[in-house]
Amino acid sequence: MARYGMALDYKSCINCKACEVACKEENGILMGADKHRIWVGNGEIEGQYPLLDITSNAFYPSQCQHCDEAPCEEVCPTHATYYTEDGIVRVDPEKCILCSYCMNACPYDARYVDDRTVTVDKCTFCADTRLARGETTTACQNTCPTKVRIFGDLDDPNSEISEVLRTREHFSLKANLGTKPKLFYLT
Amino acid sequence: MKIGPLNIPIKEDFSIKSLLNFEKTPANMLIAVLTLSFLAMFVVGIATYLIHGHHAYNVTREHPWGLLIAVYIFFVVSSTGFCIVGSLGDVFGFKDYMMISKRAIFGSIVTILAGFAVIAFEIGHPVTMLIYNVLSPGLTSAIWWMGTLYGVYLTFMIIEFYFLLNNDMKKAKIFGLSGLLVGLAAHSNLGSVFGFLNARPISNGVFYPTYFILTAFITGIFLSFIVMGFRYKLDFNAQTKKMLEGLAKIQGLLISILIFFVTWKMLTDIYGGMPNRAEVAEHIFHSWTFWAEVILAMAIPLVVILTTMGKKPVLMFWVSLSGMVGVFFMRYNLVHDTQLKPLQMLKTTEYQLAPEWIHYFPSTTEMFISLGGLGLCIAMYYVGTKVFNLDEEHH
Ligand code: SF4
Ligand code: SF4
Ligand code: SF4
Repeated sequence: MARYGMALDYKSCINCKACEVACKEENGILMGADKHRIWVGNGEIEGQYPLLDITSNAFYPSQCQHCDEAPCEEVCPTHATYYTEDGIVRVDPEKCILCSYCMNACPYDARYVDDRTVTVDKCTFCADTRLARGETTTACQNTCPTKVRIFGDLDDPNSEISEVLRTREHFSLKANLGTKPKLFYLT
Repeated sequence: MKIGPLNIPIKEDFSIKSLLNFEKTPANMLIAVLTLSFLAMFVVGIATYLIHGHHAYNVTREHPWGLLIAVYIFFVVSSTGFCIVGSLGDVFGFKDYMMISKRAIFGSIVTILAGFAVIAFEIGHPVTMLIYNVLSPGLTSAIWWMGTLYGVYLTFMIIEFYFLLNNDMKKAKIFGLSGLLVGLAAHSNLGSVFGFLNARPISNGVFYPTYFILTAFITGIFLSFIVMGFRYKLDFNAQTKKMLEGLAKIQGLLISILIFFVTWKMLTDIYGGMPNRAEVAEHIFHSWTFWAEVILAMAIPLVVILTTMGKKPVLMFWVSLSGMVGVFFMRYNLVHDTQLKPLQMLKTTEYQLAPEWIHYFPSTTEMFISLGGLGLCIAMYYVGTKVFNLDEEHH
């Protein structure tokens, strides 16, 4: 079994938001700014002209971190949120009662309500679409013009993601919370 | 007393007609009209919810829990409070408090039913919940424990009430004690729903699970003054006065402890300087809803109790009414404050500023359903006073 994760060469991100569109298109996500599985966080430029701090204006593409110790899974009263064998954190709409506890517990604001099923939805690493068709890339990864994302099996030492995590420094978001995210930001 | 179905003793004069039979004083008429309008609002609120779903509420991705969660907590805290007060007499054997046991246990049943009625329209799929709570229980989830334990608690309360009506004090005591223990467990689990959130440093920790039990007791005493006030039309006999004086003194102690708790929570939150906690606590400190809670539920009652030594039950009745408004704010604040700080601090859409604080104000539908819960609670309690003898029986 694989253990999927994703590395992000976030400094290459140009905030084109192609990944946001590709995710909606591929996974049939409803329209609306609130209905998103993926987003690009945008740091405001700090400082007074002309002494502007351009490093503050970085872009942080993000989505569900597929935490190894996921708070959303822990708090779910009906096990609607669960880990797949591939380490993907998923929601079973059959079991979700929309108590919204997971939306409150996820430290990354990665969850939203899908109005069609009236249950909680989030990034699935394209498990129902691309992975199900046997492809090895995600839609957000595939579409990215600057190739920010590297998706793959963390347990396979020869995978590109394992290679890159061995050779480049990286960090995780809100690592202090102990959620053990599987999204890695390459520095 | 006549014996109704299932061996339940009901009042001799109970009939559908006796339900409409109450003293037509202006105050009573006002309460009747208010209750009926609340019930009408409940119907309108539910209809709107059934048509529009959660879009009828002002809850968002960033603020998924709104007024209905706060009102649910308000009712279940009331229930636990009633249960604690009811247990003083019939579980712990304090003779003075025996006279309120039956009424308080009945109160605990109607308040939790009102709470369930409200939460049923906040949980997206309540039926699915009943099924999968059993089929795939999430044992690490505080909501699972809270919900399940409250279910058991309600069952125990009903059985206890049944034995109280039948004057079977021994069995009432057994179920009363079990109900109390399960109720306290359920209630502290409700606190832990917030206490477990490591994404929300302002709520994370042991504070809420313990604070919930303390504030439940306080709420129970406020409610006791209110129900006894209505029972005796503010003209208390000596025995009731004695009991209420005792309750007022306990209340003075409990509120002092609460003030101590809240002061230290604020101080450690603000001066502890922990990111995502300190600035949130400061924001809360400057919000009027926090002061509504402090003034109505803590300052006024404590001052009145200390100056009158609890010897003015009529004044305490009015103080308890405003105290319950304060308790409502307490619940609302708890839910809202937990979600104040955005989890995503970067801006994610163009042409907007990065989020600073999450704003929320309940929609009309949310208010209608909440007031409906109150109407339901008053109506059920009123019917109960007509059907059952809620006073202590002497032998
Ligand atoms: S990022 Fe949020 S939704 Fe995703 S696994 Fe972690 S806690 Fe769950
Ligand atoms: S909203 Fe659904 S997935 Fe989230 S905790 Fe509740 S039941 Fe689980
Ligand atoms: S991995 Fe797939 S589902 Fe997740 S954000 Fe990317 S495109 Fe969307």
